[in-house]
Amino acid sequence: MSLRQVFESHPERRYIMFGGKGGLGKTTLSATCAYWLARQGKRVLLFSVDPQASLSDIFQKDIFGKGAVPIIDNLWAQEIDADKRIQDYQNEIRQKILDMYGFDKVPEEIDSYIASASAEPAMEESAIFDAVVDIIVKGDYDYYIYDLVPLGHALYYLSMAKVYDEWINKITKLREEMGQYDRVAATLRRQESVEEDKILEELRYIKGRINASSRILTDKQRAAFFFVLVPEEMIILDTRKAAELFARFDVPISGYVVNRVLPQELRAGKIPAYLKNRINMQEKYLGDIRSTLGNQVLAYVPEMERDITGLPMIERLAERLFK
Amino acid sequence: MAEQDKPKKSGIFQVFKDIVYGMSSHEMTRHAVRSRASMEHLFILITMGDLLGVPILPPYYSLRLLPYITPQISTWKRRMLRERDITDTLG
Repeated sequence: MSLRQVFESHPERRYIMFGGKGGLGKTTLSATCAYWLARQGKRVLLFSVDPQASLSDIFQKDIFGKGAVPIIDNLWAQEIDADKRIQDYQNEIRQKILDMYGFDKVPEEIDSYIASASAEPAMEESAIFDAVVDIIVKGDYDYYIYDLVPLGHALYYLSMAKVYDEWINKITKLREEMGQYDRVAATLRRQESVEEDKILEELRYIKGRINASSRILTDKQRAAFFFVLVPEEMIILDTRKAAELFARFDVPISGYVVNRVLPQELRAGKIPAYLKNRINMQEKYLGDIRSTLGNQVLAYVPEMERDITGLPMIERLAERLFK
Repeated sequence: MAEQDKPKKSGIFQVFKDIVYGMSSHEMTRHAVRSRASMEHLFILITMGDLLGVPILPPYYSLRLLPYITPQISTWKRRMLRERDITDTLG
């Protein structure tokens, strides 16, 4: 099966992710894929959850923190500015406290908590996580293409949903028990009703957000996860390990793309020993890949003569990738 | 007590009702309210542990809860950080 056939035979898979170790060409392949889908007339949003995103570089356009920026017809790209999102979010919380209690300023103790909370390393990941939920819940596009961060982060990102979900379940339960005590006290005092618990409402909202995101990422019908690898020993080993881990999180793996394959035509010419060795090495590992992954490999992408930046290069790569 | 805040109805029946309440369910009510308060503090601890230097949870979503908990924060910190002595276990 080819990459093209996968997209044509599964039009319902609308959430597309490319994963792999850093520097193997995830961004390049997601951009190429987004470009091709847009050219097929689909409305596509390509977005990056990487704090060091490189979509701006590949499209040669500054899109960081600017929302969904149009690239060509039907194609939008977005880089999430986590810092700004955290700042806006903090201000929203401060404003809410001021509005709820009619304070002139947020009490110092509370304010310093808000400020220090944002210094936590998990804050950025959570903010991005929440931003992704925002994007997906709106549902404005036919395809959502995640330019995922390197594997470790991707796994963290996926496991976070599970951890959050369990945590929220526990405290929601505690909160509900607290509600029961309220009702007991109210009944004993012959009070008619108890106040609606706003915190419980918030907890349910948070739970809904977390579930929406993890449901999509692990939805076998609608999500497609592609692994990117190159024909090198360490990468093959790491990819195998990562694939096992991903399977544990129920992430549906749709196939593999082998990137940076040196063209065989080179052999015909007179080439230096260095290059010849590299080609031979690649050939050995390509053999390994064929025997272990076989028809799960959807495309072998040639090493181009220059790096992939700008639309003309992306178009050229798309032609090779989806031929 | 909360009962005293309400305007009382006059009449012998109301007095009788209050006496019965005081004798029977007042203690239970107090117990329920106290349990509820302890749980409230436990709840704040697991959501806002960072305030005491006990990081328990990624703070992004816990910030959403902060506005509702703001009034209780100072009593909660006092309760969590005060020294314990023998009278605590007796009480």
